[in-house]
Amino acid sequence: MKCKRCRKTEAAVELPSHNSAFCPDCFFLFFRRQVTEGIRKLSLLSPDDRVLVCVSGGKDSLVLWDILMELGYRTEGLHIDLGIDGYSSRSLEKVTAYAAARGKVPIVVDLHAEGIPIPEAAKRTHKEECSVCGTVKRYFFNRVAARSGFTVVATGHNLDDEAARLLGNLLHWDRDRLSRQSPLLPEGPKGLVRKIKPLWRVSEMETASYGFLKGIEYVTEECPLSLDATSLVYKEALSLIEEEMPGTRRRFYQGFLQQNLGVPAGTGAADVTDGKTPGNCIACGAPAYTETCGYCRLKERVTKARGR
Amino acid sequence: MILVRIPQKNKEIEVPGPRMVADILAAAGVRPTTVIVTQGKRLLTRDQRVEDGETIDILSVVSGG
Repeated sequence: MKCKRCRKTEAAVELPSHNSAFCPDCFFLFFRRQVTEGIRKLSLLSPDDRVLVCVSGGKDSLVLWDILMELGYRTEGLHIDLGIDGYSSRSLEKVTAYAAARGKVPIVVDLHAEGIPIPEAAKRTHKEECSVCGTVKRYFFNRVAARSGFTVVATGHNLDDEAARLLGNLLHWDRDRLSRQSPLLPEGPKGLVRKIKPLWRVSEMETASYGFLKGIEYVTEECPLSLDATSLVYKEALSLIEEEMPGTRRRFYQGFLQQNLGVPAGTGAADVTDGKTPGNCIACGAPAYTETCGYCRLKERVTKARGR
Repeated sequence: MILVRIPQKNKEIEVPGPRMVADILAAAGVRPTTVIVTQGKRLLTRDQRVEDGETIDILSVVSGG
C-alpha cells in the first residue's frame, strides 16, 4: 500500500478511521496537523504559556511532550513516582532518559517521600488504586504548576481515553462528570490552574505509531494496578465498533464536543467550578470545595490507618 | 515459520510463512486497532507480507487507568 498523500513511498501507518494511509514523513505532518488543530479549535494554548507536561513514561505523555516542544511551546516535564515496585523505577528511567536527551531535567514528585505511595494508600483506605492515583496526581499537577509559575497543565489523554470516558459517563448518566468532560478545563479561582488535553484528536494507535517512528523509548508494560480498570472494558467495546465502522470513535467524541453537550454553549470549555466557588484547603492551601481538600483527607486516612 | 513476538504478554508464537500481517493478527487473536506491528525499525500495515523465517513484534497500544 502506497502513502495516500505523497503516493510515492510505502505506507507505514494505515488509518481506516480517516480512510487514509501514510508513509512516516507524511504521517508526521498528519499528526502535527491534528494536534495543532486540536489546540487551535479550543484555544488550548498561547505562545506565552508556560506548560507543565505531566509525563508518566508511557507513550502518550512522552509523545505529547515531544510534539509540544517541536511546536515551540515552553515546556517542562513533571513525573509523579507512584511508588509501585519495579514499574515506577522503570517509568522514571524512561522519563529521565527522554528528558536528558533533550537537555531537560524533569520535575519529580516521589510519593514514597510524600508519605503516600499509591499501593499502600489504596490498601489502607480500602479504595480502588486508580481512584486514589487520580486524586493524588491531580493534586500534585495543580500544586507544582501553581507554585512554580506554570500557566497550564497538559496531560497525554488521547481520543481513545476520552471516548472511553464518555461512554462510561453516558452509561452511568453521570451528568456531573459529563459537564466537566472537555479537553479544556479553564483556570479557576483560588489557584486552580488551567488543564488541557492537546492529544484529544489523535488515537492511541496514532500516538503509538508516532512514538515508534520518532524513536521515543517509552514504557510498554501496563501499570500493574490498572489491569482491571473499567476504562479498558469501554475501550474494548469501542474497538469492536471501530473495527466494523471506522471513524465511529472520533465521531462519537467530537460530536459530543461539537454539540456542546457537556460544556457551556459555544465555549468548548467545561465549567471546572461546576457553578460553585472553591475555597482553600485549611491544611495545605490548595483549591478545595470542602474545608479540607481530597488529597489531605486521603493522606490523613492513610496516616491514621498506619498508626493502628 | 514466522516468529511472532508479543512482548507485553511475554508470548511468542510461530505461524507458517509467508503471510499477510492481517492474517498473522487473526492467527494471534489480536484486534488490529489495538496494536502496532513492527519489524526492526519499520512499522507494518495490515496488507504487508511477512516472509518465512522473519520475525515481527506485536505491541499493544491500549493503556488503562
